[in-house]
Amino acid sequence: MATATQSDQAERRTRWITVLLLAPSAFWYLALLVVPLAIVVVFSFGERAAAGGYQAAFTIANYLNLPARAAAFRNTLILAPVGTIVCLLAAYPLAYYLAIKASPRMRLFLLILVIVPFWTSFLIRTYAWMFILGGRGLPAVIEWLGLGEVRLINTPLSVLIGMVYGYLPLMVFPIFVSLERLDKRLIEAAADLGSNPWRSFLQVTLPLSAPGVITGCMLVFILLMGEYLIPQLLGGGKVFFIGNALVDLFLQSRNWPFGSAVAMGLVVIMLATVTIYLRVTRRYGAGRDVSLL
Amino acid sequence: MDRKEFTYHLRRWQKGSISRRQFLGVTGLGVATAVLAKAMPELVMPRAAYAGDLGDRVSLTTWPNYHDPKNFEDFTAKTGVAVEVNVFGSNEEMLAKLQAGGTGWDLFVPTNYTISTYKELDLIEPLDLSLLPAYDPAAMEQRFVEAGTIDGKTYAVSKDWGTTGYAVNTKKITEKMTSWKDFWDLAMGKYTGRAMVHDYQLTTIGNALKYYGYSFNSIDPKELGDAEKLLLAAKPHLFAINSDYQPSMRNGDAWLTVCWTGDGKQMHRDMPEIEYVIGKEGGEIWSDFYAVPKGAPHRAAGYALANFLLTPEVNAKEVQAHGYPSADSRTNKLLPKELLEDPIMYPAAELLAPLEFGAAATLTNPARAEIMARFKSA
Amino acid sequence: MRAYSIAVYLFLYAPIVLIVLFSFNSGNNASDFQGFSTLWYGKAANNRFVIEAVTHSLIVASSSASLATVFGTMAALAIQRVRGAARLFFDAMTYIAIMVPGIVIGISTLIALVTTFGLVNNILTTIWPGDPATAPQLGMGFGSIIAAHTLFSLALVIVIVRARIAGMDRSLMEASADLYATPWGTFRQVTLPLILPAVVAGFLLSFTFSFDDFVVAFWVAGSKTTLPIYIFASIRRGVTPEINAIGTVVLTVSLILLFSAQFLLRRGEKPKAKAA
Repeated sequence: MATATQSDQAERRTRWITVLLLAPSAFWYLALLVVPLAIVVVFSFGERAAAGGYQAAFTIANYLNLPARAAAFRNTLILAPVGTIVCLLAAYPLAYYLAIKASPRMRLFLLILVIVPFWTSFLIRTYAWMFILGGRGLPAVIEWLGLGEVRLINTPLSVLIGMVYGYLPLMVFPIFVSLERLDKRLIEAAADLGSNPWRSFLQVTLPLSAPGVITGCMLVFILLMGEYLIPQLLGGGKVFFIGNALVDLFLQSRNWPFGSAVAMGLVVIMLATVTIYLRVTRRYGAGRDVSLL
Repeated sequence: MDRKEFTYHLRRWQKGSISRRQFLGVTGLGVATAVLAKAMPELVMPRAAYAGDLGDRVSLTTWPNYHDPKNFEDFTAKTGVAVEVNVFGSNEEMLAKLQAGGTGWDLFVPTNYTISTYKELDLIEPLDLSLLPAYDPAAMEQRFVEAGTIDGKTYAVSKDWGTTGYAVNTKKITEKMTSWKDFWDLAMGKYTGRAMVHDYQLTTIGNALKYYGYSFNSIDPKELGDAEKLLLAAKPHLFAINSDYQPSMRNGDAWLTVCWTGDGKQMHRDMPEIEYVIGKEGGEIWSDFYAVPKGAPHRAAGYALANFLLTPEVNAKEVQAHGYPSADSRTNKLLPKELLEDPIMYPAAELLAPLEFGAAATLTNPARAEIMARFKSA
Repeated sequence: MRAYSIAVYLFLYAPIVLIVLFSFNSGNNASDFQGFSTLWYGKAANNRFVIEAVTHSLIVASSSASLATVFGTMAALAIQRVRGAARLFFDAMTYIAIMVPGIVIGISTLIALVTTFGLVNNILTTIWPGDPATAPQLGMGFGSIIAAHTLFSLALVIVIVRARIAGMDRSLMEASADLYATPWGTFRQVTLPLILPAVVAGFLLSFTFSFDDFVVAFWVAGSKTTLPIYIFASIRRGVTPEINAIGTVVLTVSLILLFSAQFLLRRGEKPKAKAA
């Protein structure tokens, strides 16, 4: 970097201010992100101590053992995208209704109604689902209606319901924002030109709402990939995500090194999938609007 | 003081030519630490205060459905100490938490096979029996006194004991079940989607080993391999892998579950159709203890709570609530006769005979930990 | 489409209705309604562990949200002035902090803290002037939860405020500088009012995240019980309607805050417009 000349005092001062402004965040990133992740990398090459925990060593055995958790990786890599898509399918019509069909007077109120459930504890809401999906909840109603015996709790379906429930608002908002910005005259113009509603949706509305869809999908996908509470509470220990494998390795097996290797595996998969996703969606013309949030 | 000078003093101290106190005085480190400790009590916690007054709280870490809540209220009324109760699903998890440190627990309830490990890892303290006047080793069954004693020092005092069998909802399952073979066969067959097993390796693998008649504590690779095969085959048929099975059994979601004595007793008391079975091949007999973790922040209150709960009158109420047999003859004298003759709490001698105590090596065995993890992630 | 939207709202509110309903249960089982009573609200209000957990959560959420908002806004303002490695570092770190799952943040922070505290505590014991047994020891608690929550919130604030700055009219700031305003004056009178909505949004999001976080706090809380940790422990102990009562109170308080904020903003808008 070029050094400031002595005459250029103002510039030097600006530089100092810049450094001071950035210093606290830089410290935070270093102390709570770089250092912990570096320690996890070091641990991932270690060995499990006899009674559990970590013992210094250098071995790649933990990485070679990753296929032992293949099922957890597979579950996550299937259920996270499926959850994202179901979330999208559930959210899009609602966002569309809110942005285009709902009366402007009601819009804000309806929008707030989407976030309100977020203000009771996530754990309590998930617990309520344990009750709804459990034997005395929905299945009892279904049986009473004479529709036969069903089991919902502790199945991939109940985990999926929990995931969609938990993250629906995160999908609704970005889509709503991009749909609301959209110039409604475009749709009208398409209709005037004889386009049927379905075609004008496909050719006008959908492409214009792409940035919101892409952002929403990414947000939900990121959160689902690291999920562990929903499978834990609604999956009864039977639906296992990478997050659950991680918790298990630290709380039950007390195998810190292998746990560290699994954590690194998860981080690498996250970074790879999201980076590829951003590249691909950017190429398809979604443009600059797509960022992390 | 510059770096050179500091290094000079550090060398001198290391060589022993000055004392630690002198070193700290010269370098100013002592003052600095003391000031820091005063200024930031939150960041720099003082070590546990020893003895003295009880404070206003105590943190107890224990198992599900394991106490009479009324007793905690009585303790608070008597001492002003409020009881914070944490519930865990497995000894493995308790150990993991204590190993990571900073738990804030004052009293916890480890099982027999963990005590030597805790002692080796320096996680529990030898108990100060003068703070536990209600504990009388002479009144206890000797084998449970011994399990808490290492090298002549008492590290843990007996809370109660029990067996690990299984509970069956006989309204839904009409077959007469007597063995672990029955358990696994029916769980994987006719009653698919209705059985639960514990969420920890010791009993889940142990009872899978029992299917083949192997030892509950086996760490033999071939036998463990067989157990893993059984577990993986059973996995898709299970309702859940969870050590807290009472809610699912009570609401009818699950019909069959691996179960401890007291949970069997509690469910049978409220729903007579739920019966408790000890597999005739054997399985686990265990005993739980009160122990004090090193560095307990409210140590005195922890001892006071243990002492209160061990008092025969209080303990008798505990036993009537949780349904696990006590090893204390003074407590048993206070219990109604039907409880002392209860077949769930005191199984027939021929059922008890083949049962095994879990071994410390079974708890810490890495192969078993890994098999359990593979079973869960399958 | 309207019918569909109603169905989605039903889906969103079914659990909420249940939570509120069961909070008025007179029985002590959360899944078996036995009659109407406000008993559990009283119990929760008199339970010192509940009060303490709520207090802890408020302390943690307000501290971490404030730290993240101040530091994040500072960084967002300065970030466009740097290029090269420093810029790359910030962009990459912000990206990673948002991307890495909470569970990994929780566990890696725990490992890092256990390791560093072990080292530091040894040193502290060695240099302590008094009895080594009374030497101060580092441990997990407020410090570690706040630090870990601030990491994620910081990245969140940086992203939100930067997006706002990117959409801002730079000519305003240049005009201000041309009129010989000091950098501080420009910041106070031009930049801050422009980015304020993003800063407030960042604070609120950070607060909400921290207040409801279990996944990270569970690992680094030490013996400090926050509200989500208390709730998780209650689920394990066997849920009583006390939990539903707590959930209902939290919901009600958030709603009141939201509507009063909305009301104040609406009222505040008009006179402000005149004054400006």
